[in-house]
Amino acid sequence: MNRGNRILLSCIYWAFVLYVFVPLMLMVVMGFKDSKFIGFPIRSWTLEWYTGVFADTEVLSAFGYSTSIAVLSTIISIVVGTWIAILLEGRKFVGRNTIYALTILPALIPGIISAIAFRIYARWLGIEPGMGAIVWSHAVHNVPFVVLVVMARLSTLPKTQLEAARDLGADPFITFLRITLPYLVPAILGASIFCLLLSFDDFVRSFFLGGYEPTLPVLIFAKLKSGMSPEINAIATVALLLTGAIGIWAERFTRRLNKD
Amino acid sequence: MTKLTFSRRRFLGTAAAGTAALASPAYLRSAHAAGGEVNIWTYNDFVPEAFKKQFEAETGIKVNVRLVDDQGKQFNLLAAEAPNPTVDIMTVAGHRFLQFIDNDLLAPLDTDRLSNWGKINPTFSESDWSTINGHKWGAPILSGMEVLAYNTELVSPEEVKSWDVLFSEKYKGQTAYILQDMMSIIMLKMGYDGNMVAYLDDPAKAEAIVEEAKQYLIDKKPLVRKYYDGGAEVQQMFVNQDIALGHSWNGPAAALINDGFPLAMTIPQEGSYGFVYTYNIANNAPNADNAYTFLNAILASPEIGAAMTKASGFISTYKDASNYLTDLEKKSTSFTDEEMSTLKFFRAEANEMKYGFVDPAVEAIKAA
Amino acid sequence: MSDDLAQRTHTGQKRKEKTDLTFWGRLSNWGPYHLMMGAVTASPRRQFVVLAIFPLVWVLFQNLGPMLQMLRVSLTDAYPVAPGVEQHFTLENYTRFFGDQIFWQPFFRTLVFSAVFTFCTLIITYPVAYFLARHVSRRNQMLFLLLLLIPFWVGEIVRTYAIMILLGNTGAVNQLLKWLGFIDRPIPFMYTSFSMGVGIVYLTALYMLLPLYSALEKLPKSFNEAAADLGASAWTRFRRVTLPLTLEGISSGCTLVFLISTGFYATPVLLGGPSTTVFAETIAGFFHVAGDEWPTGAAFATIMFAAALILTGTFQKFMNALRKGDTK
Repeated sequence: MNRGNRILLSCIYWAFVLYVFVPLMLMVVMGFKDSKFIGFPIRSWTLEWYTGVFADTEVLSAFGYSTSIAVLSTIISIVVGTWIAILLEGRKFVGRNTIYALTILPALIPGIISAIAFRIYARWLGIEPGMGAIVWSHAVHNVPFVVLVVMARLSTLPKTQLEAARDLGADPFITFLRITLPYLVPAILGASIFCLLLSFDDFVRSFFLGGYEPTLPVLIFAKLKSGMSPEINAIATVALLLTGAIGIWAERFTRRLNKD
Repeated sequence: MTKLTFSRRRFLGTAAAGTAALASPAYLRSAHAAGGEVNIWTYNDFVPEAFKKQFEAETGIKVNVRLVDDQGKQFNLLAAEAPNPTVDIMTVAGHRFLQFIDNDLLAPLDTDRLSNWGKINPTFSESDWSTINGHKWGAPILSGMEVLAYNTELVSPEEVKSWDVLFSEKYKGQTAYILQDMMSIIMLKMGYDGNMVAYLDDPAKAEAIVEEAKQYLIDKKPLVRKYYDGGAEVQQMFVNQDIALGHSWNGPAAALINDGFPLAMTIPQEGSYGFVYTYNIANNAPNADNAYTFLNAILASPEIGAAMTKASGFISTYKDASNYLTDLEKKSTSFTDEEMSTLKFFRAEANEMKYGFVDPAVEAIKAA
Repeated sequence: MSDDLAQRTHTGQKRKEKTDLTFWGRLSNWGPYHLMMGAVTASPRRQFVVLAIFPLVWVLFQNLGPMLQMLRVSLTDAYPVAPGVEQHFTLENYTRFFGDQIFWQPFFRTLVFSAVFTFCTLIITYPVAYFLARHVSRRNQMLFLLLLLIPFWVGEIVRTYAIMILLGNTGAVNQLLKWLGFIDRPIPFMYTSFSMGVGIVYLTALYMLLPLYSALEKLPKSFNEAAADLGASAWTRFRRVTLPLTLEGISSGCTLVFLISTGFYATPVLLGGPSTTVFAETIAGFFHVAGDEWPTGAAFATIMFAAALILTGTFQKFMNALRKGDTK
């Protein structure tokens, strides 16, 4: 490997990290501004917005609500997405391309269109607006991403392993559980992170399919009506820290599980 | 009151409303429907927190607030739920009534059931826009208007006597406005009826007027920095000094002024339009009785109105609400008589025709 | 059918095998399970049907259902139907697009913007993905990737306002340039295609990064080394070996990013200027401002979607041809 190239590439990587993180740092800093509006110059500082977040039960419960929705919808997406990926990968059958296209469809529809389509459809099916409806719409929207990621991984699974298992008489279900699934773990973990993220960040579906309890983005949108305040920045920062903490804990937890 | 310390803005708002609710328990006697719940769609801070707590405690009616952020979304949501909505009370602007009424989404308001109806300033409760098909459709709570806001460190008061300053070479690339609203103002500025009610019988004339306004805005397009949509956007543009002056609703501008930002607002000599947020009862509302109890309660005291003004920056429709405002808050929510004399309210009668012409014109301006 | 068969398929450690043996063995011999598996896997055909039935039902009901509903709305003259009004089927919503030039400009602008931003995203993220997959030790790859994911946990709106704080006239960049003495007056970055691009690439980078990374990660290092042994320069190696072998990742990343870009709404609206109106804004207008023009909005959305699909389909065909040509 060429040393110069390597240095150049790492510079590009860190420049990209900088690009991605600078807005984030600005957000964190603005949460300390003693004013009702974010922006420079900052004349005086306060901790009030940050401490306020922990006292605001509305924000905390919205955070909890969003988290449960994200976790539930992710579980559904992962199960369904993996199932579809296994059906589609490496098989040839009539209508495969149609099913593939239909599977990818929800990822490609503009948010507002998909939200309204879901709302009309939910009403037609008799699904009440609320947590169930939000989880459903997020799950449907996120399945394509799981399928794409899992299929990519699946395509690299050595066929010989599957054949060996079958030759030895293991039925397809056990083969799946013991060969395929363990091989897919990295893909599933990656896809889960992605799904959690999409769900946690979603505004438009949550708004149209939600009831009286706001998810965090819905609450933030409503608060934005009276201006982009440091309060919103503080909420977003705290939410980021909390999800980060939960993520790290979950990672440690699964790692410990794997060790046992 | 322990929970009320989370933010200064909210603290002031809730404290004021708290004392208001304590000082006026009159509505309680008329509360015949005890228990149950009432479902409300409204903007952030339009239902003062302390009032809500007090109301729930005294009547046993649970208040479920669903926060919304624009009129169109409320309409879409309600249209998707009709004819059996989950909502009892919505927050519709007076000039958007017709759209909701035409689709059978609102129930006429029975003002006889509201003993506090008289506490609303008649300017708002008895205005020309408020009666449609012989009925009242909403209880006015806050009023807003289209104003010209300017950074006082960059622009002098003499320069903003006319809307023309928005289109001057001097402030090229330093202005912003909401296109849809600007169309009405330009029509007014050109001497026409921006509500188009006068041309209901003459659509050809209406079309020609919209065309004229459209051409004007297309000609001036190189001068504008941004066509924006939301109050938070224009606030941010002022703070970042991306603009020096712009058209704005008074609420967002007032919030900036109250925060100490060097901003002022005016109604230029050509005049401007105002609108009123009202609480409305949904057609087929699941808890209509509780909705009336709630409406009567929230109209009970000017202090509640003042609390809403403090939180939103919009002007209270309650009689005497300004008595409960600080000097800065008064300044940011009042205009001279001269300015007020040119103010007109948006009206809905001709909306279908008007927006039939204006919406495509707005698209055309954006595309130009 | 026995324990040791199931057991031998496993390659794990000894201790684990023992516990596995009991569990998997028991499961596989357990009556009901055995019967069920027997019934399900009686023939490859039946096995396939069992595997296929659930995905089929899912895509038909969950994915196609809402779309058909939207298509139906786009073909009507009134939705939601007001009481006392009869709903008719019509093609007018579609002809309206083709009949009025003012819709074409945002439409084509969206396609051009999406293509340009997709290309920018590719150029920016390819080296990043390359660095991650080839120069970072395998143990740290996940960590470095996750590092890039963190900012995406912050909602789109908050992040977009942060970009305003970054690029505004009194924003961080202008302050910095002024402090360094490069400028006297602030540079108006905001409300231009540039500020819009900064915001959009932020949104699309992730969708590009993941396919590129997985394509690059799969690429055996030995290929490159072999090429190097044959005396190929770094640039030639990249052009002749790495690039052709990652075409698939490039193609799927670009397709995904392009399609998603055509639907962006909030970021272009907040960061764009007077002359950067995108088609999603036009579509949203029919749902928001006018409120009662859902059918037109639905029809326009369908048109946009169809156009984007045709374009990406053509693009994929082209990429496939390129790949075939290269391997020859």
